[in-house]
Amino acid sequence: MSNANWILFLSTLSTGLILGSIFSLVAAGVTIVYGSIWMPNAANGQFFLLAALFGWTLTVSWGIHPAIAAVLVIGVSVPLSYLLEVLLIKRFYDVPNRNISYFVLSLGITQILAGVFSLTYGQWSDQFQLPPLITGITFIGPFPIANNRLAVLALAIAILAGLFLLLRFHRYGRALRAVFQNRDAAALRGVNVKASYSMSFALGNAVIFAGGILFALAYSFDLTVAWTMAITAFAIMIIGGPGSVLGAVVIGMVFGFTQAIVSVVASPTIAAFSYLGAMLVILLFKPSGLFAK
Amino acid sequence: MDSYWKTLAVTATASAALLAAANISAAQDKPPVKIGFVTELTGPWSFFGTSCVAGLKFGEEQINSPGKRKIEFVITDNQTSPAQSVAASRSLDVQDKVLALSGPTSSDTGLAVYGYAEQNKVPFVVPVAAFPQLTKPGSRYTFRLEPNAAGWGYAIAKFVEKQKPGGKIAMIYSDYALMRAITAGLKYQAPLSKLQIVADIAFPQGSNDATVQAAQVLAAQPDYVVVIGAGGFDNTITNQLLDIGIKPQQLIHPFGITTQVMNWGKRSVGSYYGTFFDSNLDSLTPEGRTFVKDFTAKYGRPPSYGENFCFVTAHVIREALDKNPEAADDREKFRDAMSKLKTKETTSDIPIEFDKNGARKEYIYFMQMTDVEAKSYKAKQAFYAEWDPEVIPVYTLVK
Repeated sequence: MSNANWILFLSTLSTGLILGSIFSLVAAGVTIVYGSIWMPNAANGQFFLLAALFGWTLTVSWGIHPAIAAVLVIGVSVPLSYLLEVLLIKRFYDVPNRNISYFVLSLGITQILAGVFSLTYGQWSDQFQLPPLITGITFIGPFPIANNRLAVLALAIAILAGLFLLLRFHRYGRALRAVFQNRDAAALRGVNVKASYSMSFALGNAVIFAGGILFALAYSFDLTVAWTMAITAFAIMIIGGPGSVLGAVVIGMVFGFTQAIVSVVASPTIAAFSYLGAMLVILLFKPSGLFAK
Repeated sequence: MDSYWKTLAVTATASAALLAAANISAAQDKPPVKIGFVTELTGPWSFFGTSCVAGLKFGEEQINSPGKRKIEFVITDNQTSPAQSVAASRSLDVQDKVLALSGPTSSDTGLAVYGYAEQNKVPFVVPVAAFPQLTKPGSRYTFRLEPNAAGWGYAIAKFVEKQKPGGKIAMIYSDYALMRAITAGLKYQAPLSKLQIVADIAFPQGSNDATVQAAQVLAAQPDYVVVIGAGGFDNTITNQLLDIGIKPQQLIHPFGITTQVMNWGKRSVGSYYGTFFDSNLDSLTPEGRTFVKDFTAKYGRPPSYGENFCFVTAHVIREALDKNPEAADDREKFRDAMSKLKTKETTSDIPIEFDKNGARKEYIYFMQMTDVEAKSYKAKQAFYAEWDPEVIPVYTLVK
């Protein structure tokens, strides 16, 4: 294989992995919240952007090191989630068919956050960039890759692995999966269902915030990223199966690689539509999603 | 005899002063001339709309000197929405009875106001919107300060032709109307300038990553890479091209505003960008230097061409009315005054004169970045070009 082909292959691989892991994180966050409290969180894109903008403020305006900023951003999502839950989300827990109410509620949150961002950050700059976690370039064969992108990729995979371990082996994770599958049976087995709602809302948002800050560390961004990420996360959740974290992770990776590969063999424009087309085809054959139980 | 002349002189001076005072009083007694300024205060383009208003406010302070009829800009938010732009234009036209419209900084909203203005015979002064069709043949009420985007592409070809005769160009850009217009101009002019386009890569809206495409550009071995990303993606493309081994000196950004240039950062020093006004230009007038100094003091960053065009818009309207006071209350007369106007940008002395379609004699500077600091940057002028708006068939190249 010539150097040019190696570079093309490795750039496709790195793009697929980085985009895929960030898509997976956001979609996992969305599906955790949906699986437990039945909230199709349309505001996920704005939460994602909030994390990125908060990271920008911490690093660029306040001069905090990006690694510390990333920890602070993910950490701050927990009290924010609890506040939101106490003020709004909790009130719908006993409402039948609450997913429609939640959807409308999250659309309202989307509009409010979009307006606030537009009137604040939107008037300070048209684009935002965080300083890198690590500087320098590493050569993998002939392919040069920024160390910062490697660091972001490592962190994203570490967070996804941690999430898996938590859900599979930790007592809370098992309780959460029980609620996903059958909340009445889980309650009969002694699971505090409403406590698991609170925890899952906080966990889901923390994972979305992690996706947002990692994205901001890997890429420059503007306020429109909220909309594209919201659509992408929903598409991944629907194909993977609402409530399936494994589905979110697998399909998130597939989306990332699809985007990278189709943009090489066809064009970036076709790549952008390819996974939405794939979503429609998959839903024709398995409307409940590929990994739904 | 002396006393006769003295009396005459005193009487004449007093009469002149009285007359002037009466004129001042008459001008000040008249209601202000209202200009509807429909711009992007919210929505995805809010940075450009609010920056434009910031530039306009500096201009508005200067043009309303004592003794002149006040010009008042009625600023309205179009939410970066064409539909809202039309609704706001209608309200300003029918309810506020403005003399003219102005304000959009996006081609999409600009085209919406253009449609309303031409249909309803309301003069429309476009400060910052580059889509060619805003001054398409048959336009009568629209006057645009910013050169059209297809022309920028023409100018890039001319720049590369000078830098590297027979050079190879790669294009990598977001698939927006503005970028399509720029690349259409470049693709048209490149063979005429004996240049070769070796890569033509368009990204859809919402793209995030350009690593693979940067590798494709590298493989095409271009002499220059024309980079035109939208919003944050512009910086991502730039960084990923540099990561993969493209040299800063190979990068040409068709336009660069302050925030962009500072985000490109030190690693982009040596790269080129197009502009119509820059704080680093040697040719700034004293007024231009004052504008840069005052704007920087207030907003913590130097103004870009967008803020400048909005600043200049206020001056252009003032000058048209000063030369034709009767146009202040008559839209047709104001339209005629604008079409006859021959003036210069107060900030840089670049001539302003509109052709039959409302397009002005066009120009561009190409600057080369020399340094970037936390809140400022340095650049030097590398190229300047002026051209007739229809030097290439801009209106058939971009529909």
